[in-house]
Amino acid sequence: MRLCRSLTRCLAAAALVLACGALPSWSQSQKAPAAPEAAAPAPAAASAPSLSAPLEVKEANPPAPEDLAKGDPGGALTGTVNDIPASDAKKGLTLADTLNQVGQNKVAINFVWTLVAGFLVMFMQAGFATVETGLCRAKNANHTMMMNFMVYGFGLFAYWVCGFALQMGGVGATANLGGSAPLNSEFTIDLFGKTWGLFGTHGFFLTQGGTYDVAVMVIFLFQMVFMDTATTIVTGAAAERWKFAAFAVSTFFLGALTYPIFANWAWGGGWLSQLGANFGLGHGYCDFAGSGVVHSVGGLTALAVAMIVGPRLGKYNRDGSPNAIPGHDMVLVLTGCFILAFGWFGFNPGSTLGASGNGALRIGSIAVNTMLAGCTGSFGAVFYMWIRYGKPDASMGGNGLLAGLVAITAPCGFVNTVCAAIIGLIAGVLVCLSVEFFDRVMKVDDPVGAISVHGANGLWGVIAVGLFADGRSNYGGSWNGVSGSVTGLFYGDPGQLVAQLIGVCTLLGFVFAASFVFNWFVDVVVGQRVSAESELEGLDIPEMGALGYPEFVLKTYRDRAPLGGIGAAVPVRT
Amino acid sequence: MKIAGLLLTLAGWLIPVLGLNFTSSNAARLALCLAGMAVCLTGILGVLNKAFLRQAIWKQ
Repeated sequence: MRLCRSLTRCLAAAALVLACGALPSWSQSQKAPAAPEAAAPAPAAASAPSLSAPLEVKEANPPAPEDLAKGDPGGALTGTVNDIPASDAKKGLTLADTLNQVGQNKVAINFVWTLVAGFLVMFMQAGFATVETGLCRAKNANHTMMMNFMVYGFGLFAYWVCGFALQMGGVGATANLGGSAPLNSEFTIDLFGKTWGLFGTHGFFLTQGGTYDVAVMVIFLFQMVFMDTATTIVTGAAAERWKFAAFAVSTFFLGALTYPIFANWAWGGGWLSQLGANFGLGHGYCDFAGSGVVHSVGGLTALAVAMIVGPRLGKYNRDGSPNAIPGHDMVLVLTGCFILAFGWFGFNPGSTLGASGNGALRIGSIAVNTMLAGCTGSFGAVFYMWIRYGKPDASMGGNGLLAGLVAITAPCGFVNTVCAAIIGLIAGVLVCLSVEFFDRVMKVDDPVGAISVHGANGLWGVIAVGLFADGRSNYGGSWNGVSGSVTGLFYGDPGQLVAQLIGVCTLLGFVFAASFVFNWFVDVVVGQRVSAESELEGLDIPEMGALGYPEFVLKTYRDRAPLGGIGAAVPVRT
Repeated sequence: MKIAGLLLTLAGWLIPVLGLNFTSSNAARLALCLAGMAVCLTGILGVLNKAFLRQAIWKQ
């Protein structure tokens, strides 16, 4: 009890200093309507102890060394005042030391939260790999898996070289992560009397512009895995006929330029995020975790590549009617969907970039919204297929789950649970309609439904922010430089919907066009599509030199094509 | 045909962006956004995709 009372006194003293304005984030939250008791400690501030005066550590009743030597099975003796380092050993522990430790603890919590969330998102690559490979034919398993595997390396390298700098080089300080002040240089132009941020210029190779910095590294890791998610979406739509070399070049371009530029406009302090401050459109373009930035960018690039590459041989008959080409492993598909749903708990809640301060405790709400939308998304797709075709289609059930998760990614931080469920349900039906539309009407061959899951539902998620944001979130009192909470059309702010729709037009107009032009250029110069012979044979041997499932297919190849690479070492069974 | 589709797609983006300077009315901006989206989708799905379908592999 003595220990508790002493610590309470220490914390009260810390609160007094904070109330005097030591931290700007606190003074912002003072303006928020949800903190009516915030002004209460002010009269006592005059009696606050000196920051540099030594504290009487004994009052905190630290555990004696002989008690510690006996071990601490209950955990009551571990993590006490003894663990706060004094900056001056002669003077002893001061209030300044205690406050510095409090600040570092906050940043440490946020570092660990953001990093662990980033690790979860990185693991989503495994989910994408299994979903896409399962939905392709066995003869292309190695090729599809390798594209999903190498997209991580190609994308990461491009993002490290220049992508990160272009995206986040001018984002400014990130309060939850302790500053990251070196990211302070944005290339801008003046247009219509306003300043338009176009791309960042600090952070090339993570050293230029003073970016060899602990907070910058955390931001880089988290943003890099998001970019990799966008790049891996494309491999699904172009699977089973995409040249590996063309894939490598296309991925590098997406990670180095297209993705970072749009991400800068939305998240890096660029012009889309400033639509609220510059033109009075709500809080500017709001995309909490990336329905637009990540999924629509990936989905629309996938559309561009799928159009250029063309449909697989046998997908369409001469009269244009489509043939179903089923994947080879539904177990792999649904396992991958679960892995993706698990990783999404890093994707969405992790986008607070912290668990402490600036409204980051909303992570619980964000996680529940994420779960709910995924759940109703799979409901929507399964029931749609059940009613329309008489069976609850498994692959569309998985795509419905992913569609719900994609759609809630932008609004997850701004909506309540009922709206999250509605957004997910609509996404589940939308993905089925979109798959049918692209397959039958547009005749764009997308083996895994990536264009519909990520492209169409990414755009739906962006629009959903403008409709359903309930104005109850509060991330440090403002968003995109506009005070107050993000509020959609249904809660009274039509300007937010306009900002979101401008984002949609930018995705459709700029991102698609940029991706199309570059991939068209690659097609003209080196060719995007494999030969018809390779496609019929399966891409594992012609492109990768080894089979994904040698024991299944080896007999087929015995007399037709010599095995190369690892495949050459596999003994032929007779 | 492909170039025309591409230009149409880009035009669909520029309509609402340039419109920001011409009006401060949310209703007008909303209308420009919807028009921009329609133009973009026409460019991508109506013109560009149709150009690729003309030489589709399953027609050969």
